[in-house]
Amino acid sequence: MSWAIRFEDVSKKYPGAGWGYPSLRGDLSRLGRSVAARLTRRKRDPEDPFALRDVSFDVKEGEAFAIVGPNGAGKTTALKLLTRISFPTRGRIRVRGRIGALIEVGSGIHPELTGRENIWLYGRIMGMSRQEINRRFDEIVEFAELGDVLDRTVKRYSSGMQLRLGFSIASHLDPDIFVVDEALAVGDAGFQAKCVERMMRLVAEGRTLLFVSHNLTAVEAICRRGIFLLNGQIEHDGAIREVLQSYVDWIDARQQERWNSTGAPRGRGLAVERVSFHDAAGAECAAFRTGDTIEIRIAVRPSRPIVQPAFAFGITDGRPGSLIICSMAVDGHVPPVIDRPTVVSCRIHNLPLLPRVYQTWCSVVGDHAYGDLVDWQIVGTFRVMEGPGGADTPAPLSALRTSGVIHVAHAWDVATTGDPDVVTAVEGYSP
Amino acid sequence: MAATAIELVIESTNYTRPRDRARELWAFREVVLAFAERNIRVKYKQAVLGILWAVLQPLIFLGIFMVVFGRMGNISGGGTSYPAFALAALVPWFFVQTAVTFGAQALLMDGALLRKVYFPRETPVLGAVLSAGLDFAVGFVLLLVLEPVLGGHLSWNLLMVVPLWLILAVLTTGVSLILGALNVYYRDFRFVLPVVLQLWMFGSPVAYPLSTVHAEWRGAYILLNPAAGVLDGFRRALAEGRLPDLGLLALSTAVSCLVAWFGYWMFKRMEPGFADVV
Repeated sequence: MSWAIRFEDVSKKYPGAGWGYPSLRGDLSRLGRSVAARLTRRKRDPEDPFALRDVSFDVKEGEAFAIVGPNGAGKTTALKLLTRISFPTRGRIRVRGRIGALIEVGSGIHPELTGRENIWLYGRIMGMSRQEINRRFDEIVEFAELGDVLDRTVKRYSSGMQLRLGFSIASHLDPDIFVVDEALAVGDAGFQAKCVERMMRLVAEGRTLLFVSHNLTAVEAICRRGIFLLNGQIEHDGAIREVLQSYVDWIDARQQERWNSTGAPRGRGLAVERVSFHDAAGAECAAFRTGDTIEIRIAVRPSRPIVQPAFAFGITDGRPGSLIICSMAVDGHVPPVIDRPTVVSCRIHNLPLLPRVYQTWCSVVGDHAYGDLVDWQIVGTFRVMEGPGGADTPAPLSALRTSGVIHVAHAWDVATTGDPDVVTAVEGYSP
Repeated sequence: MAATAIELVIESTNYTRPRDRARELWAFREVVLAFAERNIRVKYKQAVLGILWAVLQPLIFLGIFMVVFGRMGNISGGGTSYPAFALAALVPWFFVQTAVTFGAQALLMDGALLRKVYFPRETPVLGAVLSAGLDFAVGFVLLLVLEPVLGGHLSWNLLMVVPLWLILAVLTTGVSLILGALNVYYRDFRFVLPVVLQLWMFGSPVAYPLSTVHAEWRGAYILLNPAAGVLDGFRRALAEGRLPDLGLLALSTAVSCLVAWFGYWMFKRMEPGFADVV
């Protein structure tokens, strides 16, 4: 398969980063300073930092490709270069096909105009022809769920309504290559689900998708390949599972580092030293399989004797609410006192989670009215991989294509209920 | 499939052959129209008097001119009455003023869009100049109604309005591209713009006749201010019922095209950085 997007040693430096808005005065003083520096042979102002440095990768035609990485890693810069909003400092990007971008949708929506006028004007600015808009107008309105307020000025819309309008217009473009940047971070849960669905349909239709998101669950569900960007450079390029694995490892290492330097997450009288995941044999591990045994260990150091601290762990997949809660308070298994460094571990047998990335939350509550000893917060991430595990491990693809996360034992039965004459033959199939 | 699709190469410079640029701009003509339409809708949506402002602005200035120049300055309209004489140049002048004001600000006004969506960056500027054209059309109707009343002479020469307006549009596009590009990099131009426009108006034969300038200096004058020849043409065609001075008009046209070419060249050179600084 040939490529649709190719980055060749692309670097990007933003001019005058850190100087604020350019002004004649600023330029003149900078010119003066550089001349003075040259005359006196002193060191000149430090070089501008690279937002992107020698980045090369290919996106294949019809592929769903992800770019992940922490804030400021250069993800949005890469998309801006690709969509010709900004230009690379060095290197080149080659693109085959028409690009449609969903970058912070709604930025072109004009508050003084009505929803209807905005669809007409914004749609054309985004590159739709009049005929196209005419044809898809009802579809756009329906997708945005704005039927009854279409003739009201947009400034009277709620921010969610404005967002829906923007996304709806942009997502009804008809490009070969779709570029989506964190459009899902906003909007209510129902609309988010609709957006993911729409992207999946585009991928199924054979469009190329380039997706940038912090929602690793959505990334894993939609994309097959990707890169992990860090400080403007590619840290990992490959299959999405490996990329996410290396990203999650990096997040964990960073978290650990931060704890080591700052002590621990905020705890009153109780410092969390380390949180780790272990397999059935007790070895430290960050990747599990459905049906495995997982042990979450938390090492704490009290600064005073803590009476009856109740530990609780929660597991989430990024959506609000916990999928699993293990709570000492609920189980009625609270240690009487902790007065020295202690490791508390919680063992979950037969992990009922399907392949995905999960976050672990933790809190510790004391018996007295001092408030929480450790606030409810993310303490680590682990990952459930597909592949041979227990006897009834689901096949990898089926797990990726569904939005469920909990695995339960279940059985299928297919029984015929009629005569065979209804269906005469299935083409190309012989029993 | 995509293998046969046109390949787009994005590099540090956005150099493309002039022919490809023209083709791209043509492909984005719908976007220019959309910008123009949006400007017009937004501009008159909240104004109570709406499109009437396009008529009121020149009329208010006509009042001021009549008092200051007509009475006190004792400037005469030559063969026609001073009001008819002044109005015929004021209406096209207001086109220049509106087009340049909005054209030079267009990139900043649409900064949010610039940072998120690709289109040739000259499209909002062209849209702004085009939307000023509607104001001019309304002003032109005003002229058709008022000139005979005020004592002007209308003749078939008023058809010259079409080429005259085109020349003025080319000139204002060039000026808007230059000022608009500078405006992105140096916000100081926001403060310079009104002063420049004010000076330009008083440096043009709007309140006074072109004949104020000595005949042998007129060529040099038009080299400096190409709008002068066009404004004089408007006055002859709409107030005096005469043909424009074709020699001066040709010179104006040449200089206007030169300004537009330079503006476009400069704009395209500065274009790659727009989204980074806006």
